[in-house]
Amino acid sequence: MDATPTAELTSTPGQHVVEPLQDGGGGHSTSRRPDPLIGIHLCGSTALVWRTADVRAAREAGVVGSLVGALPRQPRQNGRLGRPLQLGLEELRLLLEKQASGDDIESSAPNSEGEVQQAETECYEEEQRSSFEAQSILALEERKSALLRAMGGAKQGGGTSQPDGGVSGRLEVLDQSFVFPRSAVAVQLRTARAGLSHCSDERTLLSAAQPGSSQRAPRSESRFQVFRDLRQRGYYITSAGKFGGDFLVYPGDPLRFHAHFIAVCVALDEQLPLVDVLAVARLGSNVKKTVLLCSPGGPTAPVHYTSLQWSGMV
Amino acid sequence: MNEVTEMTESTDTLCVDDLFPHNWILHHPMYLRMQSLDVEDGAQVHAAFLVYMDLTEVRHWKDVSSLKCPELQVVLLEGREKEGAPMQSILPLPVHQYLNHKSVRTVLGRGFPVLLCVVASDSTLVYQRMTDGFVTPDPPAGQIQDHGRRQHRKRHQQH
Repeated sequence: MDATPTAELTSTPGQHVVEPLQDGGGGHSTSRRPDPLIGIHLCGSTALVWRTADVRAAREAGVVGSLVGALPRQPRQNGRLGRPLQLGLEELRLLLEKQASGDDIESSAPNSEGEVQQAETECYEEEQRSSFEAQSILALEERKSALLRAMGGAKQGGGTSQPDGGVSGRLEVLDQSFVFPRSAVAVQLRTARAGLSHCSDERTLLSAAQPGSSQRAPRSESRFQVFRDLRQRGYYITSAGKFGGDFLVYPGDPLRFHAHFIAVCVALDEQLPLVDVLAVARLGSNVKKTVLLCSPGGPTAPVHYTSLQWSGMV
Repeated sequence: MNEVTEMTESTDTLCVDDLFPHNWILHHPMYLRMQSLDVEDGAQVHAAFLVYMDLTEVRHWKDVSSLKCPELQVVLLEGREKEGAPMQSILPLPVHQYLNHKSVRTVLGRGFPVLLCVVASDSTLVYQRMTDGFVTPDPPAGQIQDHGRRQHRKRHQQH
């Protein structure tokens, strides 16, 4: 499985992630699934996505999130941030819903887990062997060149009678008797693989990771329904804290478009002060976005949308 | 005796109060019509009247009429911006009141474009368009120039 994500996703402006991730192609056991499982890690109540492949998969599912990590090579700035990708509550729920439907695919894997680990172990040992051989050859080369340097220096300084014969003789000795000790082998630690592989812990995390329903306020329920409906209509959604609304709604990927709408989620019978309605509409017109009043009708009913625009009647 | 003097006084001098009595609104035919619609909220009726006056006298709208919306118990206005223009619904509300989405959907359900008009205590009127569905905003007007790295260069020059 060619799971080496290129820097394609990451080199667009505003989302500069420097390191391309070597995903350890040989170690992955999976056959190609239609919907790759996105590894989501809960840090307290914050959902984070660490792997580049997962960030891309989330993007393709329409979940934008926000990068919150420092860039190792440019740490002292926050104009451009890197992984992890932080997911909002609605985004997390959407992904979990999607992946819950794909759980049956995942559950078939545990039978082959033993074989999978066997294959991984063999692969790893093979890599170690080839690495050892390559390194011993390189070490021998280096010894020889060091020897030649030493001999060359002595020749210039001293002027002994048998320079050439001595050198070739010593090189031969080196060839025959050189042993590269195992303890001197340099080992690459693949941090990409450490702790984030396909182990059963990840699956239990994803299946049990629904935030408790007691924590869910009624308002967050309506927010999620609006979020899901907008996503189904093909819009991309980010949070709209800067604009006094709930969501910013883009007709396409946020990297390519400006937002068209500021979505404000209200219940159908929620009483809004008129001054607030005017304020949010005026704000929207100042930033060239339409304010969208969104109200879910019910768990199965469609969502109602009303566009508010400044009338222009002075 | 007193009545006679009063009568003569009033016929001799024509004061402003006669032409524009201070409670002229209460006598205005449209206001009386709105009152007859039997809407309890007096503040809303007053607001509706102010909007009516603005639409007809200031903006010269045509065919402006008032009606009662039974579901919401408010006075609605309907009118055309110009002769032959499509009919629009106007929902006048005093600023201190509240609005819920369901009421907006009800007014939209009449089938005409809806204007919400908010009336302040000093009679300031603010109109807002409400449409069902997604209305894409107007794109920014004027020439859009790509300034490239001008900002970066400017900052550089400062140092």
